Amino acid sequence: MSGRGRAVVAIGAVAAVVVLFFVFRSGGDESDEATTTEAVTTTATTTTTTETVSTTTGETEPPPPPPPPAGPVRARITVRGGEVVGDRRLLKVEQGKQFVLIVNADVSDHVHLHGYDLMADVAPGKPARIRFEASIAGRFEIELEDRGLLLGQLEVRP
Amino acid sequence: LTYPLAHGIGGIKDLPVPAWLFFYGAAAVLILSFAALAALWRDPLLKHGLPGREVPFLERLVFSAPVRILFGAIGVALFAVVFAAALVGDADSGANLAPTFVYVVFWLGLVPIVVLIGNVWPAVNPWRAVARAAGRLGERAGVRWEPPLEYPERFGRLPAAVLLFAWAALELAYPNSANPRHLAIAIALYSLVTWFGMLAFGTEPWLRSGEAFSAYFDLLGRLAPFAVEEEDGRKRLRLRVPLTGLAGAEARAGSVAFVAVMLGSVAFDGLSRSTWWTDRVLSVRDSIGADRTALADLAVTGFNLLALGGMVALVAAAYLVAVDAARSAARGQLRPEDFLRSLLPIALVYVVAHYFSFFVNQGQVAWRLASDPFGNGWDLFGTADYQPRYDLLTPNVVWYAQVGALVVGHVLGLVVAHDRAVDVVRSRRLAAKSQYPLLALMVVYTLGGMWLLSRG
Repeated sequence: MSGRGRAVVAIGAVAAVVVLFFVFRSGGDESDEATTTEAVTTTATTTTTTETVSTTTGETEPPPPPPPPAGPVRARITVRGGEVVGDRRLLKVEQGKQFVLIVNADVSDHVHLHGYDLMADVAPGKPARIRFEASIAGRFEIELEDRGLLLGQLEVRP
Repeated sequence: LTYPLAHGIGGIKDLPVPAWLFFYGAAAVLILSFAALAALWRDPLLKHGLPGREVPFLERLVFSAPVRILFGAIGVALFAVVFAAALVGDADSGANLAPTFVYVVFWLGLVPIVVLIGNVWPAVNPWRAVARAAGRLGERAGVRWEPPLEYPERFGRLPAAVLLFAWAALELAYPNSANPRHLAIAIALYSLVTWFGMLAFGTEPWLRSGEAFSAYFDLLGRLAPFAVEEEDGRKRLRLRVPLTGLAGAEARAGSVAFVAVMLGSVAFDGLSRSTWWTDRVLSVRDSIGADRTALADLAVTGFNLLALGGMVALVAAAYLVAVDAARSAARGQLRPEDFLRSLLPIALVYVVAHYFSFFVNQGQVAWRLASDPFGNGWDLFGTADYQPRYDLLTPNVVWYAQVGALVVGHVLGLVVAHDRAVDVVRSRRLAAKSQYPLLALMVVYTLGGMWLLSRG
């Protein structure tokens, strides 16, 4: 094999190592990510279910079990000192569900959800609240418009 | 485009290709590869077996002076509007035509035209049109410009490869690529380089060697049915059988580098769209602090550039390793440039797989911005209030298009490589043997492309 050929093989080997590194790193990260986002949605759904339960127990006649009303999925993002608190970057929701996005911030700005093109004002003590039906599938960026700060991404899955 | 675009183009991404579709796609690649290997080595059909035909009427029309002037004028007018918008239009990239026109209408929109019809870029290339018009005017005034330098042919396409890398770096590595003012600076710089190159070496030599978009669309145009060929110093228009434009070698120096940039930049775009990568970029930003934006932008650009360069090097290294193995198998009868054109279908389907949905979504924004290019409230064509619909493509359509495109591109690449091998290598047995490394290369490229699309 020529000298150049050997050099090429060496580059290839380095490249392979880099790829393997990417594969393993990304594998590890994905599981972390899944758990954090899972946590967000599950807390959200548990709050809504407890609400429904408390209203039904107040009635005397137990009604025939209705299909559980699908409560909106909620997600809350907090911005403090110009940065997102915590590590919440990918919010997941199923297509067709109602979604409520609440953003608390210690600055005045606008929250912009791309794709759906929804905007809401936010100010200290006045959280932005965006409620909508997750009708379009895809991944959409949520940002603080004037600052251009990415708050997270919304993933709507079919 | 890359994150974080403060007001970037889009803000919408595809859902990652689901694992099951990834596996079906991978299986299809492997099965089709073996079928192709078993069936394909015969004669160099693409090279010799399928002559094109002449189209005299169309040829007269296409090369007539009015058509030439009309297309040149369209190119220059669009260039002027876009550059003016970038320079003085609304500073918000979402309200300014320039970023969407440059990255979507021009860069992505020309690809289907060039591939499905023919390379129209020389006809609308504003830099070329201006240079030629200036030359004509000068001649009429009795001044003839003789380029002082002769282009050193040993550099081949290398300047174009460098400039294509710079373009990819602007689009994909630089966080403020959609900022109209920054784009204006980039357009001005590129125009200066281009016109300077044309003055120094002559218009056509620079277009062949140093104008990145000319080289890009020239290579992609090899897939097209219509081609312009020189014959006895006269331009001829030919209609050819699909793929026959890919026969032969791409022998000019710098071609490997150029094609590697074509493939590697799209691969980097796939990587940079994954949540994993955006998180890495965010942590670079976080480590610098929220208040030092300029420094953070610089650090992110450097970080992205490393990965972009790495991807290009990876693509090039994989190709050179495969060709080296193929050459050993064919007892030295092959050279690196022999299989370069078999990568062009792959380059095309990488673009289709990565940008097809972006083009459909963001193209609608261009429709709206066309009426109000400067963002000052005009409504030239009555489309200023058009609301883009982002539900035109369902994730399923996008996924099948992505995986389907990659599989088809892989098979086309194999066909072209086989044709080249049986043309160049004397013994049919050795030609067949030389194709195993190429097969491995195509499988790696295709699976790598799919793998990047399946990353969250």
